[in-house]
Amino acid sequence: MILISTTLESILRINKLSKRFGKIQAVDKLELEVFAGQVFGILGPNGSGKTTTLGMILDVVAPNEGSFEWFDKEETVEARKKIGSILETPCFFPYLTAVQNLRITAHIKKCGTENIDNILKQVGLFERRNDKFKTYSLGMKQRLSIASALLSNPPVLILDEPTNGLDPEGIAEVRELIKDVAASGKTIIMASHLLDEVQKVCSHFCVLKHGRKLHEGAVSETMGEINQIEVAANDMNKLESVIQNFPGKTAYQENGSSLIVTITEDVNATDLNNYCIAQGITLKRLFTHRNSLEQEFLKILRKND
Amino acid sequence: MYLLALVIIASGGMFLLEWLKSEGADFQGINPTILPIYDFPDIWQNTTYLASFVKIFLAFTVIISVNNDVTYNTLRQNIIDGISKKEYIFSKLLFIVTMAAVSVLFLFVLGLINGSIYSHVWGVEYIFDEMEFLAVFFYEVIIYCTLAFLLSLIIKKAGFVIVALFLYTLMFEPIATAILINAPYFSETIAPDIAQFFPIKALNNLISVPFGRYVFMEIEDNVSIKALAIATAWFGIYLTSIFYILNKRDLK
Repeated sequence: MILISTTLESILRINKLSKRFGKIQAVDKLELEVFAGQVFGILGPNGSGKTTTLGMILDVVAPNEGSFEWFDKEETVEARKKIGSILETPCFFPYLTAVQNLRITAHIKKCGTENIDNILKQVGLFERRNDKFKTYSLGMKQRLSIASALLSNPPVLILDEPTNGLDPEGIAEVRELIKDVAASGKTIIMASHLLDEVQKVCSHFCVLKHGRKLHEGAVSETMGEINQIEVAANDMNKLESVIQNFPGKTAYQENGSSLIVTITEDVNATDLNNYCIAQGITLKRLFTHRNSLEQEFLKILRKND
Repeated sequence: MYLLALVIIASGGMFLLEWLKSEGADFQGINPTILPIYDFPDIWQNTTYLASFVKIFLAFTVIISVNNDVTYNTLRQNIIDGISKKEYIFSKLLFIVTMAAVSVLFLFVLGLINGSIYSHVWGVEYIFDEMEFLAVFFYEVIIYCTLAFLLSLIIKKAGFVIVALFLYTLMFEPIATAILINAPYFSETIAPDIAQFFPIKALNNLISVPFGRYVFMEIEDNVSIKALAIATAWFGIYLTSIFYILNKRDLK
């Protein structure tokens, strides 16, 4: 997915931000910039400083060094009114209902309360809107968090593990929601472990480890060349001998009931398919592997170990 | 609207408070003929002195309110949503001031009613004389509740803060200050002067014990400026500490 930002308006600039908790350097001189319209994924193993970084830019954690700027030097409290965010666990008043909690959010963000019912419908909490927060399941609490982030229709969203606790339907809904919001030109900053989701919705990403940024780039650049094709046929032995003679391959290996063939750059799946048919074998499975974000991610982590 | 949520929790406390106030003001009416407690203008000093004890219950609601924000982490959520820490402190102070105002109003009305029933002295100039005690009571309640606010931020367990504040206000400090003032060892030194700086004593000094007048015929009839200054200084310290804590500490 490629998103082209029409303006290079800087939404967030982080300058050498650092935070230490006792002996642990949670965030180490982090430098980052997010532009308008990007869907920016912040990836990293547990303890890499993602949530701490988000906490610092939201004024919840006080940084030890460094600074950050929203919207090109806007005052931070005003800036936060334009940002919808989810940070870690959902925090609402347990003895109040969803509608009441959202009214408080609306009051703080100075946006109207007319949107509340619509937002609740959008996240699927409309039927339970008048029940107290303490009666909600984890998934529903997370949905309320998402609702509160979307409530004021903000130009920037910050989501820390937005799919935490959601059922598969919920995860798909959140994915669609993020895509819709991104399509309308808003900026989204997302911290997530689900690389699959990040791959599907993000335009740019960075990888953090031990508080340091290891890699930053566009998702489209990272989805590299196709170089592996998975094949299977009814007669696996014959297939294997056919593959061994295939000139466009560099290597192959078994993978359960199929073979994965690593091919050279000038060859593609169609060539392989034609070759096999010419050799008298019909493939029952032909699947092209792409470089996935997960592979890249793990590669980056390993490189920097 | 933000206060709306707080009022829901506070309303339970408020009813209890009002009931207690009416009890406190009325039970001494059992012997109305003996002590002219309800005479104007003394009534203002008398009732506000007694009501000083009830300020603990007002502090109770403040503690619960602040503690909720800390326990349920809604303070953090609200800061993320875009409230500034100053606005938060201001909203809590507004809450305190409103409660103080309602209490004062309540006392005023009660004072008028009881005074009109039991007072041996009657006259417009007497009724409204010495009402500065009501204003001072207002101030006293605000300062005390601000202390409660500060303590709830420092100590995160509501029950602990309530019990600690209660015991300290009613037992430890009065005992400590009484020792400093009266015990033969200490009264030779400057210790009695130090006593008036203790936080609760400073507050209580704003409205001195009025009952002495019926026995000794000589007590502080006015609000002492020195006590006012000390109390204000404590108020300043509490407010500064609250600001400092909220800005320095990470909100987890």
